[in-house]
Amino acid sequence: MESNVKDTELTERLELIANMMAEGRRSTTRWAWTIVLWGAAFYVAIAWSSGMFGGPIWGQHYMAWPVTMIGTWLLTWTLAGRMHKGAKAPKTTVGRAIMSIWTAMGISMFALLVPLGLSGRGDQQVCVAVVATLLGTANAASGILIKWKAQFACAVVWWLVAAASLFGSATQSLIAFLVAIFFCQIVFGIYAMICESRRRRQVQGAANA
Amino acid sequence: MPELPELNPVIHGKLRLALLSLLSGVDEAEFTWLREKTGSTDGNLGAQLMKLEEAGYVAMKKRFVLRKPQTLYRMTEKGRAALSEYVEALKQLLGNAVISG
Repeated sequence: MESNVKDTELTERLELIANMMAEGRRSTTRWAWTIVLWGAAFYVAIAWSSGMFGGPIWGQHYMAWPVTMIGTWLLTWTLAGRMHKGAKAPKTTVGRAIMSIWTAMGISMFALLVPLGLSGRGDQQVCVAVVATLLGTANAASGILIKWKAQFACAVVWWLVAAASLFGSATQSLIAFLVAIFFCQIVFGIYAMICESRRRRQVQGAANA
Repeated sequence: MPELPELNPVIHGKLRLALLSLLSGVDEAEFTWLREKTGSTDGNLGAQLMKLEEAGYVAMKKRFVLRKPQTLYRMTEKGRAALSEYVEALKQLLGNAVISG
């Protein structure tokens, strides 16, 4: 009888270790909203650069991409700082790995697209292909890292858009890009936000049980 | 008959074990996050963390973020090794119990 009690206590200890380790690893910060934000930013930049807006500032089409991208980066940084005040989730190895992938992708995009634009060597199809390939790479790496098939599916869509962009006309390339932004940024971002809030509720429920 | 392993008394306490397990999965964690995850009181949590710190299993650092004090804890290599040994000892004890049962 005493032995059974001791065994139960030891098993409880092992379960406690496993649960707490999993809890620590699960504690990633909320980032799904950034996917939607960047999707919206792409739409703004495309609309601006294609001359949909008028006026002294909006009329400067060449400023559309650099201004929108830098502005969105600043907005992401500011909002992330405000959202993660208080008892913020600690950094994990997986979280740091994902952050490094997206940071490297952002820098690569900036480093390639700015010279392409300035040198005049990048036409619209090439630029779409570059952006879509880089987004595909980052989504694939993140998807593999966290074993999320939906994100890997987004990567496949981006790669297909990149390849199709080089074979189609400028209009077809733009349409493919707009559709991919809708599904892989807006729809996937909202889906990721729903998954995040569902997981958060589950964790809170388990902690209060 | 092989000798049964002793369980490390510093780690065996439930809250201290939970804290070490939580810290093993993250780089470093704030005091408030640890309190939220364990559901412990400030006093008890502080006392247990101090015991772990005295044993050299966790390291603490204080800093100010936007003028607010923040206390961060991280697991040391010694703590990681101690937790691994504790898990091995637990498994061994449970294994022996299964065999003798």
